[in-house]
Amino acid sequence: MDSLLSPQLLAAAMITGVLYALISLGLNLVYGTMRLLNVAHGDLVMIGAYVAFIAFSLLNIGPLVSMFGAALICGFLGWLSYKCVFQRLLSNGQLLSRLEENSLLLFFALSVIIQNLAILFFSADRRGYEYLSAIVEIGDVRLTGARLTVLIVGAVISAAVVFFLRFSLFGLAMNALIQNRDASAIVGINVDRVQMSSLIFGFGITGLAGALISMMEPISPVMGFPYTMSAFVIIILGGLGNLWGGFLAGLLLGVLEVYGVALTGPEWRSVLVYGIFVLILIFRPQGLLGSGKTAR
Amino acid sequence: MVKHLIIKTFVILGMFGMAYSVQAADPVKIGFSIPKTGMFASAGPSQLNAYLLWQDLVNAKGGLDIGGKGRRKIEFVQYDDKSNPAQAAKIYEKLITNDKVDLVVAPWGTPHHFAVAPVVERHKFPLVGNTAASVALRKVKPGYLWFTSSMMPDNVAKAMTAMLKSRGVKSVAILYNLLPFASENIQFLKPALAKAGIKIHFEAKYPPDIKDMTGMLIKVKAKNPDAVLVHSYPGDSILYMNQAREVGINAKTQYVMVGPAIGFFRGMFKSNLDGIITMGSWAPGMKGTTGSQKFYTAYKKKFKGHEPDYLDTVEVYASVQILEQAIAKVGLNREKIRNAINTMTFKTIYGDVKFNGVQNGSTPSGFTQIQKGKIEVVWPKSRATAPVADKGAWAN
Amino acid sequence: MKNSLKLVLAVVLCVFLAGVAGFADEYILGIGFTIFMYIALAQSWVVLSGLTGYISLGHVVFFGSGAYVFILIWGLVPVWLGVFCSGIVVGLVSLIVGYPVLRVRGPYFVILSFGLAELVKNLVLINEARMYVSMRPVFGAPALYQLYTAMLLLAIIATGLTYWIRRSRFGAGLRSIREDEEAAETIGVPVAKLKLLAFAISGVIPAMVGAIFIMRSGIFQSGDAFTPIVSFTMVTMAIIGGSDDAPGPFLGVVFLVLLQELLWVNWPEVYMIILGILLLGFVLFIPNGIYGWLSEKYFGNKKNVT
Repeated sequence: MDSLLSPQLLAAAMITGVLYALISLGLNLVYGTMRLLNVAHGDLVMIGAYVAFIAFSLLNIGPLVSMFGAALICGFLGWLSYKCVFQRLLSNGQLLSRLEENSLLLFFALSVIIQNLAILFFSADRRGYEYLSAIVEIGDVRLTGARLTVLIVGAVISAAVVFFLRFSLFGLAMNALIQNRDASAIVGINVDRVQMSSLIFGFGITGLAGALISMMEPISPVMGFPYTMSAFVIIILGGLGNLWGGFLAGLLLGVLEVYGVALTGPEWRSVLVYGIFVLILIFRPQGLLGSGKTAR
Repeated sequence: MVKHLIIKTFVILGMFGMAYSVQAADPVKIGFSIPKTGMFASAGPSQLNAYLLWQDLVNAKGGLDIGGKGRRKIEFVQYDDKSNPAQAAKIYEKLITNDKVDLVVAPWGTPHHFAVAPVVERHKFPLVGNTAASVALRKVKPGYLWFTSSMMPDNVAKAMTAMLKSRGVKSVAILYNLLPFASENIQFLKPALAKAGIKIHFEAKYPPDIKDMTGMLIKVKAKNPDAVLVHSYPGDSILYMNQAREVGINAKTQYVMVGPAIGFFRGMFKSNLDGIITMGSWAPGMKGTTGSQKFYTAYKKKFKGHEPDYLDTVEVYASVQILEQAIAKVGLNREKIRNAINTMTFKTIYGDVKFNGVQNGSTPSGFTQIQKGKIEVVWPKSRATAPVADKGAWAN
Repeated sequence: MKNSLKLVLAVVLCVFLAGVAGFADEYILGIGFTIFMYIALAQSWVVLSGLTGYISLGHVVFFGSGAYVFILIWGLVPVWLGVFCSGIVVGLVSLIVGYPVLRVRGPYFVILSFGLAELVKNLVLINEARMYVSMRPVFGAPALYQLYTAMLLLAIIATGLTYWIRRSRFGAGLRSIREDEEAAETIGVPVAKLKLLAFAISGVIPAMVGAIFIMRSGIFQSGDAFTPIVSFTMVTMAIIGGSDDAPGPFLGVVFLVLLQELLWVNWPEVYMIILGILLLGFVLFIPNGIYGWLSEKYFGNKKNVT
């Protein structure tokens, strides 16, 4: 079992974990502040990936630059969908009473629209490009340049976002909203503005994650759904709306995935992941790191 | 490409208002379903492109030769099956009873073939299958369906074992996806290896949504087998390609089942793919085939420099060539076409094809290898364009 | 309309639809099969999710499990007995699974139902690989008109069930859970029991639909049988039609399937985009669905939808 002690395995777990943490961050933000169940989350990853792909293959701009472009574009989509769809949802009493259900259907609709527009524009073909594919050695650990970059950039950005939301004024307002929506309005927080910003921010980070992912994985209009699934598993593990918890849960799932598979055999990978997911929802819906109170 | 996108925008907008123009001549209507939306949407083009190219090339000649009595152009009637087999069954019923097409060609993927089998059987429409491979297909009642694929898992297992033996391989590691085609290959491969005296030093199966293979690959490396056989689909093939290099898998024989024959995949790995063996039995211009170089050139021209999928697209194209040649011989009578398909030998880009029952009795299962960025057929030796080479060190 | 008149109309419609099986062409039967399939699914979904407010996004788990049970006993028992058995087995299992699952509420239940379907899909995948059965074709399935008639029967049963439950004491209990579960419990509604019963009832018919469906698609594969698309589609249809009473899902299904037949033929991607836009519009502007909107506008009875 000495393979378990291999630093290579640890590095693989960290890469998977960081990517998970980054992907789930945006979903958690949107759920936490507005209680919106974003099932179109993976489609934002897809958009980010296409932005990076097009920038690379047409304009010769690397994903480390274009990822900010991807963030801007997805952020813009966040603004657009807030103005066109979610502002109405969040301000209408009748709709608000079944918020989660309604938001889920709205996002499902958006997902269908985004995916099929992507098929129309980019064709359904899979695409991919080669970027930083050479192996980099750090001590005993060998990683492709792309995966190493994802590890570093992903870790820096997700940590920065979590810290920013913990300590900045905007982050505090957002946090207040996560804690108690009505009370935040009373103490003078502009709820509408904070909600809009969280949607923009959440979408933007996800687009950025998509650009990073495009360095390692093939992209296609229908690539998004598995990312939606993983992101949901993570935010449930960490507790819905708990950003710090979600970050840790992402890392934890990476470790669980890599080491769990090394221990039990890869055959059980998905059963393990979804099994834990289901058990947590049944026995500890507030998440592994959540407080005793559930979010409703 | 930016210009291209802008043009596309107009085309898409135009689609809303555009009425279909009616062709003056009397074309042959050929129907099929294709996954344009849903899970398999990204696999659909490998089939659709072959159909579209065929239509172009045939119509450029003036159309299909109808039993030597003049030519008629091809008109397609195609519908999206949403990646759903039951939808495909419905589409073929619609094509036959409602659109009154003259002929049908195959849907995409093994499950869809099972779904449409009873429909074409009932209406006595001959259908030359492609993109489908499973030994279960042989249980389909012989009649109106044939399968062009040379990759039936039991035959692949035999070819694989023979290829490994020829390379002096004594031990292997097997990794495989739980999805049907991969696990069916393993089902036949394991007894074949045992019979040949090749030891399995390591075996692992994994679900389709696997995210990391490092744990498995560290164990593979520790066992140091002569060959690593990865029965994977494009997504997990990419995981292997990245992580095998990281872990330093240096076996001289490395097989990655589905992926390396597809254009985008080669774009992602370039010279790192050198030496990788994959499923396939075709290279442009190979001996024994008819017009394969012409097909390759025409494909690249039509699809803006993209390469065809050496596995699927080729097989799909061969399947419509078979239909074309049957029609050239006997005309459009479906019973006659059926007899022709049963008895004729067809000259295709895939080589000469003659059916034995429902399956392709001529094209042997084989493997290709990427050598200096080019795909070479390396097995079986009768079709090889180059000998199997050792997989050298990874390029970078 | 008087109730007796409605009933007569419904019976005439059913007899007519059953009679169609005798002479309609396959294409019509195919569309009918799809319509009845989704009516049966959407009605079943309404029993649980429409009435109690426990939104299930993983209803395909019943559909897929039913299909799996059916394919396991395929060839061992007569076809229609097999269909029946798959419904019973899935119903019984869901009584056991439902107990812990229904303790989870609100958005957690939504996500849980989704995860549960993925879990079962992966379990089936592993089991199939262990048994080295990778392809399970269904040879010698009954003719399309038989499948059509069977699906029609399921659609009628499901619609009748929803209609009846909605008007029964049982249904009133379920709706009280939707309004306020805690309050209902305090005034003595046996909440846990009712929920569990609704869960099982809402699973039986989808299981049988799944069994019939694989005879239509000619093959069982876990990826197809448990695809989330089926879950999403039935929810969409029920919501667009109106999920509080039996006519809702009926209208939703007919509307969407016919729309699809019109659009999908030439522009599949555009059809999907329009479907998305419609769904957006319905949720935002007509949250009570076609039926809720119609009855408000033309019959003046304000539907109680929260």
